[in-house]
Amino acid sequence: MRRLLLIALVLMSLLPAAPALAERAGGTLHYVAPYGGDLLGLDAHKSTRIQDFLVQTSINHSLYSWEPGVNKPKLELATKADVSADGKVWTFKLRDDVKFHTGRKMTADDIIFSYNRVASPATKSPSTLYVRIIKGAKDVEDGKTQSIAGLKKIDDFTLQITLENAVDLPYFLFYPGTAILPKDEVEKRGDGFSSDPVGCGPFQFVKWVKGSEVTVKKFPGYFVPNRPFLDKIVFKIMSESQARDNAFRAKELDATIVEPVQYPVYMKDPAISKNVIEVAEMFTRVIGFNLDKEPFKKKEVRQAINYAIDRNIIIEKLLHGKAVPAVSWLPSTSAGFNPKAKGYDYDPAKAVELMKKAGYEKGFTVDAVSTNNASWGTVVFEAAMPFLKKININLNIQQMEGATLVDRLQKGEFDMFSYSMGTGPDPYQPLARWKGDVSRTAGNYIDHKNPAYDKALEQAAAERNEAKRNALLQQADGILLEEAAMMFFNYNKAVMAYQPWVHGLKAAAVDMVLQDYVQIWVEESSPRAKEK
Amino acid sequence: MFAYFIRRLWQFIPTILGVTLIVFLLLNVLPGNAALTALAEGDRGLDTKYVEEMKKLWGLDKPLHERYFDYMLKLAQGDLGRSFLRRDPVSGLVLERVGPTLKLAVAAMFIALGLGIPLGFFSALRQGSWLDTTSMIGAVSGVSMPQFWLGLLLMYALAVALPLLPTSGYGDGGLRHMIMPAFTLGVSYMALLARTTRAAVVEIKLADFIRTARAKGLAETVINYKHILRNALILVLTTAGLQFGALIGNTVIVEKLFSWPGVGSLLVDSIFQRDIPVTQGCVLLLILGFLVINLTVDMLYALIDPRIEYR
Amino acid sequence: MTPLRRLLKTRTNILVGGIIVGLMTVTAIFAPWLAPYHPVDDANLMYALDPPSRQFLFGADSQGRDILSRVIYGARISLSVGLISQGINSLIGVILGLTAGFFGRWWDDLVMGLTNIMLSIPSLIFALAIVALLGPGLLNVFMALGFTNWSYSCRITRSQVLSARSLEYVQAARALGCGRLRLMFTQVLPNILGPILVIGTLGVAGAILLEASLSFLGLGVQPPTPSWGSMLSQAKDQLFTAPWVSIFPGAAIFLTVLGLNLLGDGLRDVLDPHTSRQRR
Repeated sequence: MRRLLLIALVLMSLLPAAPALAERAGGTLHYVAPYGGDLLGLDAHKSTRIQDFLVQTSINHSLYSWEPGVNKPKLELATKADVSADGKVWTFKLRDDVKFHTGRKMTADDIIFSYNRVASPATKSPSTLYVRIIKGAKDVEDGKTQSIAGLKKIDDFTLQITLENAVDLPYFLFYPGTAILPKDEVEKRGDGFSSDPVGCGPFQFVKWVKGSEVTVKKFPGYFVPNRPFLDKIVFKIMSESQARDNAFRAKELDATIVEPVQYPVYMKDPAISKNVIEVAEMFTRVIGFNLDKEPFKKKEVRQAINYAIDRNIIIEKLLHGKAVPAVSWLPSTSAGFNPKAKGYDYDPAKAVELMKKAGYEKGFTVDAVSTNNASWGTVVFEAAMPFLKKININLNIQQMEGATLVDRLQKGEFDMFSYSMGTGPDPYQPLARWKGDVSRTAGNYIDHKNPAYDKALEQAAAERNEAKRNALLQQADGILLEEAAMMFFNYNKAVMAYQPWVHGLKAAAVDMVLQDYVQIWVEESSPRAKEK
Repeated sequence: MFAYFIRRLWQFIPTILGVTLIVFLLLNVLPGNAALTALAEGDRGLDTKYVEEMKKLWGLDKPLHERYFDYMLKLAQGDLGRSFLRRDPVSGLVLERVGPTLKLAVAAMFIALGLGIPLGFFSALRQGSWLDTTSMIGAVSGVSMPQFWLGLLLMYALAVALPLLPTSGYGDGGLRHMIMPAFTLGVSYMALLARTTRAAVVEIKLADFIRTARAKGLAETVINYKHILRNALILVLTTAGLQFGALIGNTVIVEKLFSWPGVGSLLVDSIFQRDIPVTQGCVLLLILGFLVINLTVDMLYALIDPRIEYR
Repeated sequence: MTPLRRLLKTRTNILVGGIIVGLMTVTAIFAPWLAPYHPVDDANLMYALDPPSRQFLFGADSQGRDILSRVIYGARISLSVGLISQGINSLIGVILGLTAGFFGRWWDDLVMGLTNIMLSIPSLIFALAIVALLGPGLLNVFMALGFTNWSYSCRITRSQVLSARSLEYVQAARALGCGRLRLMFTQVLPNILGPILVIGTLGVAGAILLEASLSFLGLGVQPPTPSWGSMLSQAKDQLFTAPWVSIFPGAAIFLTVLGLNLLGDGLRDVLDPHTSRQRR
């Protein structure tokens, strides 16, 4: 007997370590909605803010979905997409098992309805530019017609989309603002749809306690079997980082967004730091120059400023390490990012030399505008001041609200500005902003005009081969860097901390909160593991 | 009596009109384009067409006097306009915030009345004692204390150093979340009431009718409560009513500090977001509340004290 | 209260209040000599958020600047804002009160109506609206605060004028052709100086609090200028990691306002014993 036991013990010790945890179905997730005091609405076609989208992506699906870990759009509501030779005609074989939360199946009519609604002037959707790529959408926007000509229903589950130009359609129609909504429910609920939405996503809407939280529960008719894992998600609206900190430590929050102040504290904590995801988010913080104003017309001056400021120490001390030093305009997670690009290192001697060469040894005083944002606002100018003083540049810092700032930027009434701008997910769009034919009002605040740059972008737009296109995009990005059109300060380091029982969260570069809720599951050890 | 009431109401109207005019003027000569705030978040590239549409929708391209006229017309019908940011009616937005602000204000008032009046009362009765001196020093400190500083200190002591209370937020609207903001808001009010009560009691103590009562042989306690307190309360409550306006103004600071979802924080947020209709709505509501309270206090005072004149 | 007690109490108020205010004024005037560092230029990120030490008595802020120096220089901002804006308020109030009382009729009605409106709008909200209109910045703060608190001065002045006008010998003087202007200076102004001074002192305290509130909300003084209020607005986020950032600027505001309130109370007891007996 004893011998058998011994053999058994020996055999058991030879077994490999416990197998990877199997995904577990069930439980409630307390997720965070950190970007404001409340949601503005749950109607995807009328929304523009991440705060709203992060809840809506649990309820809705667009034609494509963004895959957070892979950082690419994937086809969601169709099984196949055939593209014509010229890239303008896309034919989709839709899934026939997608249901709306009311039980009805989704058909090509719903997609046509949704895109028409986005384009319609009556909706006043901020997402029209994502649908504008479809031929005939502009006519709907202008009120000339009611339905988009380029949308053709072949049958209930086959849809043909004809584009205006050959663009990369997935990068437009993954956008949460182009979600597929059911025509019957939208029309029935009218304005009330924004507080009681219906979609075809993995979760369905339960309730919204204004200013406090939104609850969604698992949709039993979801077309992916055994998904989602979670029974319920409660989105807790918490804009104060201290409040989130308290809630997270009290295990009230399953995942939280970490702000600069908490970042070093969390990373030093042995327990918390094991469950943290960091990613260079697709937001580039820049110090922009008004290229129409005298000192900034000279490349040497711009480059001097780039060399003069010690990005690293500002990131370390002011932002507590919660940023990735920027090399150029596009972030490292973008397809158009040139991994070989070399940014401007901290080199005060070179800065002095360049200023001298430009004839500005005596320096000058300029107006620097921004908001009171704790990561990229006027605090950046305050931190940069001692460095700029060494090359005799003095700043008149002006702090204002976001809307006033944008107003000033659009009118070109500034010398320097500090701002954070979206640089993803599609690599072409953010680069296109700086094209010569784009006005200040449309986003080309620095009034950048460079023919070589424009040419590279035009070629990239026409190029169908992905590798060649990325090469052209990288070339354009490189031009921006060489000219020092702006000072590229840093990419936001998005940091998400989560409880040890949470699985399935990924490094989402577009915005860390936009996770794939379908893949998230919780272990037994969660206090809410049994909550339905 | 009734005539007085009507006359006061009549005086109300030009005040309201004046207030709406001033508020409108102040807020509509603003630079900055409200439509843009909706898009400026993250700034993923602007859609000029959308901006133009928004401008037209809200009539921002019309001249000022036309906009004022539209505004007044709608106001008369109780329509406060639509939020720039949300397209929802302002009245809805503001009204759903009234609850939390009222809760906070009432709680603060209870704290102030409940603590301030007794403090002032007993200080006056024991004039010159250490109770008197300390509480009066405390009172003057309370009035001088910047609310956000007190709030921060309380927050640190009770929510960070000793994690007894949540730092901020409404939570479920329960006592735990409400206690710090209510106390912070109520402190300066409490201090003011303590001082006023004390001054009133001190004055009344010397009055003739009190001497008479004492001469009649009434017990000290009876004198204290029945005669002094009741008369003092009349004086105090009028001041309390008048100073309520300061309370309303200060809710803005406390709400912002403690992330309390009331009208005050909506006001500050809307100013930053350039959501002019919402700013107007909040300001009007706050001022209206203040005026109504004033009117009520005036009425109550006229009812209680028949000696005042109706001018 | 016996006269002796009252005198002692008043004296203490004035004494303590006066000392505090005096100290603050001296600090403000002699800031460059008193502050160990420059409040803006001596910024070194290496010391960001350092706790209080021999090098930085009050600790360092998020930009690596000495908090003690910034608090000292902050006195300049606060006191100048308080004095100037209250000065504007008092001037407006007195002028309006004088003219309303003397010239009467529609002007009087207008001024009284305006006063009522102003008294209906809580001063913070009015200041917020003006700053929202004009944008943040020191100059705009002056503008905003300078117009929020003239109502009381106006009322006091006006009632003085009215009571002066009803005096027999004044009416006699008028009948004899004595100019209104002269009457203003000889009859009215001397009597209102006391109350105006009291209102003024308390008003400066209020203005300082208002400025701090505005800066706290992010609508006041611009960075990198040190203002006590804006220093506190950063403090909330640092509460967990650097609580000392919250203490000192707030204490400075508190002490200054306290001193002014004590001084004002004491002055009121001396100069204007009537008001403490009035009902409203």
